[in-house]
Amino acid sequence: MLIQYRRSVDEIRQTLSTTNIAGRPLSWYLGGWRLGIFFLALALIFPWTLSDQTLVVDAISIGIYVLLALGLNIVVGYAGLLDLGYVAFFVIGAYTVAVGTSGFLQNSKGQTFTIPTASFWVLLPIAALAAGLFGVLLGAPTLRLRGDYLAIVTLGFGQIVPSIFAYVPYFFSNIGMSALPPPDVGPITFSDPLNNLPFYYLTLALVVLVILAVAALRDSSLGRAWVAIREDETAAAASGINLVRTKLLAFGLGAVTGGIGGALNAAYLKTIAPSDFNFDISITILIMIVLGGIGSIPGVILGAIVLRFIDVYLIGNVSNAVQTNPFTAHLLGGIDLNQSKYLIYGIILVLMILLRPQGLIPNTRRSRELAGIGASVEGASAVGLLAREESESVETAADDQGSTSEASSFAGAGSDAQGREG
Amino acid sequence: MLTLATLLAGGQGSNIFVQQIENGITLGAVYALVALGYTLVYGIIELINFAHGDIFMWSTVVILAVVQGFGFKSPLGGLALVGLLLLLIVIGMVVSATLNVTVEYFAYRPLRKAPRLAPLIAAIGVSFILETIAELWRGSGPVAFPTIFPTNGFYILGARVNYLDIFILVLALALMYALNVFIQQTRMGRAMRAVAQDPEAAALMGVNINRTISTTFLIGGALAGAAGVIYSMYNGQVWFFTGFELGLIAFTAAVLGGIGNTYGAVLGGFVIGLIESLAIQYIPNGTTIGDAVVFAILVLILVLRPSGLLGQQVPNKV
Repeated sequence: MLIQYRRSVDEIRQTLSTTNIAGRPLSWYLGGWRLGIFFLALALIFPWTLSDQTLVVDAISIGIYVLLALGLNIVVGYAGLLDLGYVAFFVIGAYTVAVGTSGFLQNSKGQTFTIPTASFWVLLPIAALAAGLFGVLLGAPTLRLRGDYLAIVTLGFGQIVPSIFAYVPYFFSNIGMSALPPPDVGPITFSDPLNNLPFYYLTLALVVLVILAVAALRDSSLGRAWVAIREDETAAAASGINLVRTKLLAFGLGAVTGGIGGALNAAYLKTIAPSDFNFDISITILIMIVLGGIGSIPGVILGAIVLRFIDVYLIGNVSNAVQTNPFTAHLLGGIDLNQSKYLIYGIILVLMILLRPQGLIPNTRRSRELAGIGASVEGASAVGLLAREESESVETAADDQGSTSEASSFAGAGSDAQGREG
Repeated sequence: MLTLATLLAGGQGSNIFVQQIENGITLGAVYALVALGYTLVYGIIELINFAHGDIFMWSTVVILAVVQGFGFKSPLGGLALVGLLLLLIVIGMVVSATLNVTVEYFAYRPLRKAPRLAPLIAAIGVSFILETIAELWRGSGPVAFPTIFPTNGFYILGARVNYLDIFILVLALALMYALNVFIQQTRMGRAMRAVAQDPEAAALMGVNINRTISTTFLIGGALAGAAGVIYSMYNGQVWFFTGFELGLIAFTAAVLGGIGNTYGAVLGGFVIGLIESLAIQYIPNGTTIGDAVVFAILVLILVLRPSGLLGQQVPNKV
């Protein structure tokens, strides 16, 4: 399967420099998407092959995480900005839907009052916009910071935003909101606990939509500007890329996706509380990306599926097996393996970064960056204390000329090196 | 309006403002020690050692086991107290220093040539591993740390000062002084400064880069270990999650002072300690929003003055 996929990538790359239709070669749609359509068909018939509907419930939660991982991948994978507070946008999306659909708020004296309500379908785009706007507002002053500082500032936002929702009385403080109205449309009900199919197909539709949007973004001139910034900020700026604007777009579009995920999650769970939103969510999504392959769409999807699988099945089942077996239960004493989830997450992060930093399904351009192929000034990293990005300036500068001006003589060589994988 | 006369006449424990200042200074001493570890490591390899807070936390869980092993439950006095304190400080420092050097060797050293964010992600992973092992060992809730230090003290300007607070401050200042002497006057200290300034040139001058970096992690870890001992006695409980929260606050302190600058870390530690204890007292529901206040400060500093109070603006290397 993987080999077939990689072959289609090579075909794409060959046609890249020759035929371009609306910025994308036709074969790109046909070749790369054959596998995608296969998986989509699989996902469409998946619930009908089951007798047990619990798998559908798991699939919905996986789908929501896939959405979030795809959104964070724009920020981390494409633009190379480490965002450790992605949960902030998730919160904004969730609260927009919660407040909008229920119409309940609380004043500072603890009295409940109502505002006009709207349907989930109206609020979904509003939640996405609210999160995006918020992302731009957060990003505008902070995106000038260096990468590692940005990581900590975003981590700060991830902590502040939920605690503000817990602090101010309007959103029912720590209690949060529950019994949110379901997004029913005519005869299709989303509130039947025995029938999760409507939510399953809603999630699937949103995932497909986000995949299409993200793939289109990746191959736009904006996407190439992100890659240029990721590889070398200084060279990108020197090639005429507006750093703050480009980063802001990555941050904002990532936030929009996070907002969609939050809105969907609130509608699905029908309840939200500030304590549901913490650093664990931000980091779980980051681990999905690192595991699957930073910057690679199929990688990120696989990462989300694998991590949820480990979380839901592996740890639970192993823990049960260990506890029911008297010998192993005695051996472990009172240790509860369910707590070891983050130990496994931590080990995954460290091992992936050390042994396979490109992830399970790599983005080949990213792999080249990590392997250091194409580094023009090897000497710069001889002692090894300088950031690796610094030695790639020459190559990126050339690439970049190609990406920003399609008509220039660099266009062929530039986009040839882009790679349309992942 | 606080005048000296009203302060002196404040009586026993009646002046909340001065009391919060006193608490802030004590807390600040702990933050400063942890912040030094962040700043030393950042200064030399430009890595935010995300696991540093958990290195600190491991000192607290290990010395808790030692104290529980001895079976002490009530305050000690005389030589027994001095002996136990010395033992705990040595154990705490050795545990954290060893752990920090080990983590650097296995998780960060192979990534020196990797893109900048790679070691940061590895550090996050290490942080999760250290936290979860401590959680599996000591449970998910806080564990009480026995009161081994006498709880008596005295009043000054209307604020209660425990002898423990004095001990914390004296120990922290002594360690900071020792660090300063080490960095400024020893051969290894000079090597550390050289590597921080220009690793290539330092290597060409015969400085052993790996050993120097290991020593930096050793010192940073030892300071965090000592901070773990005094914080356990001060806070009266040990919790696996302390490292994450306190680590972020200490990192904020390091950034506030100007990351890479040891004097800045100390200043930042005390300033953040004061801000936090005053915020808890004077902002309504301060304990809910206390962390958010510290983060808001962090964001503001980074946006308005990324070089910190005492740091220098460093141009981007090309």
